[in-house]
Amino acid sequence: MNCEQAKTQMLGGTIPGENQGEEFAAHLASCETCRNESSRIGALWQSLDLLPVEEPSGKVRERFYEMLGAYRQGQASVTMPVKQAWPRMIWQVAAAAALLAVGLGIGYGVHEDRSRPELVQLREEVASMRQLVALSLMQQQSASDRLRGVSWSYQVEPSDEEVMKQLVTTVNHDPNVNVRLAAVDALRPFTGSPATHLMARNAVIEALPKQTTPIVQVALIDFLAELKERNAAPELRRLVSDPDIDSGVRKRAEWALERMQ
Amino acid sequence: MMKRIVVGMGLAVLAAAQPQPGAEGRQQLTMHFRDPSMPRKLVVEGGTGSLTIRGYQGQDAIIEYTGREISGANGRGPGRRNEPPAGMHRIGESRGLDITEEDNTVRVNSQGIFGGTARDMVIQVPAQTSVNVKTMFGGSMTIENISGDIEAENFNGQVTITNASGSVVAHSMNGKILVSLDRVAPDKSMSFSTFNGDIDVTLPADTKARFKMRTDFGEIYTDFDVKMEANAAPVVEESKDKSGKSRRRVRVDGTQTGTINGGGPEMQFTTFNGRILIHKK
Repeated sequence: MNCEQAKTQMLGGTIPGENQGEEFAAHLASCETCRNESSRIGALWQSLDLLPVEEPSGKVRERFYEMLGAYRQGQASVTMPVKQAWPRMIWQVAAAAALLAVGLGIGYGVHEDRSRPELVQLREEVASMRQLVALSLMQQQSASDRLRGVSWSYQVEPSDEEVMKQLVTTVNHDPNVNVRLAAVDALRPFTGSPATHLMARNAVIEALPKQTTPIVQVALIDFLAELKERNAAPELRRLVSDPDIDSGVRKRAEWALERMQ
Repeated sequence: MMKRIVVGMGLAVLAAAQPQPGAEGRQQLTMHFRDPSMPRKLVVEGGTGSLTIRGYQGQDAIIEYTGREISGANGRGPGRRNEPPAGMHRIGESRGLDITEEDNTVRVNSQGIFGGTARDMVIQVPAQTSVNVKTMFGGSMTIENISGDIEAENFNGQVTITNASGSVVAHSMNGKILVSLDRVAPDKSMSFSTFNGDIDVTLPADTKARFKMRTDFGEIYTDFDVKMEANAAPVVEESKDKSGKSRRRVRVDGTQTGTINGGGPEMQFTTFNGRILIHKK
């Protein structure tokens, strides 16, 4: 993949006949310019997302009625000659009709059956945008942003392997306890999807011995108990018998072992 | 390009052996943030005493601590460049207090094992600074008047954050989490967690958020009007104990979710052995 193709991909375009995910990743690994560009686009999405939703203040209503009153007064004093008013009205009617047509078209399109290729593509694009946002937020510097990335992951398809893998990386390596904790919870939907459940379960089993923070250990233990994951029993037994482990964690591991029986 | 201030090991041990009380033992030094127009960050790691970080109206980071004398390693003074010689990199350093500035990030590191700790450290930074603090063996931790993003992690002590107006992500293993926000940055996720302590958070009345709350052996209290979402039904578990007697336990799945003021970014509250209190300001 060359830089041009990589850029197309960053912007959400597709290149026919290419194994895009891997090639793209490989290209990013080798090309610093594209890597920067990719993270810049990620940051752009993110800042777009950060724009606050403007909310009307209570005064808007008041001001509207004031304006309406003033307009009526103006109307009463100046009566526009009919001849002058005509061309403007025609334009207004035409614009309204055009808007109606567009609106109907959109409405029709939205209600159209799901097999239409453009719509399928649109849906895929939305999915890949969500994936992009989740992945890029989870790699930000600030823990608050990474937490947002973790919450975004609830919006991707539970079969999304890339997002699942990023969550696993976060559980195992994120420097912030709270982010790791949130990522453990966010793995739950992936254990319910046929495409990812085995991988997700194994990831949870493998994550437990890597954790040293009690609150995250307990979250993982609870998760394994909920999954009735017997393959985790040896690790749970090790925790129970390790005197260096926090007593709360050991009790929890004991409880989980009981629950699995 | 990096500035570095090192408090040498020898001096650190000396100071530990002869603790200097009062004003004599109190040291102060100042580190510039290179570019006042760019976002600033303060990173603090280690330390065994109490730690206070306070936002103020100035431009520099002012670090004040007791029980140490400042000295540049090899005679380098505060503010002097300490670049590795060409073609070499640093593999070791004297244990002590290490303060660096790089890319508008001031790092205060007191991870040393022997006396490499500054007791009762007070750091002042411009209010609009992002703060990231992590201590393993520290006492209490206090962060005041900060409008940037706050990340705080403590092992044994309480984490107190007051007059914050950005975002907060805080954890303590054994201590309480006490947080009060004057203003909440829109669209910022926050998270508060402690293993054994209470979580006590005060938020502005108009905060829009989605709470995710979990406590196993405590209760949740709030004066916000929380619209609870449907939660998982209680789970009844049957199990056998060691003597073969069957036991039954009803467990409400830990996490409860609800929204305030129509919902917004996620705020997580997690404690295993403590209570969760969410106050309206």
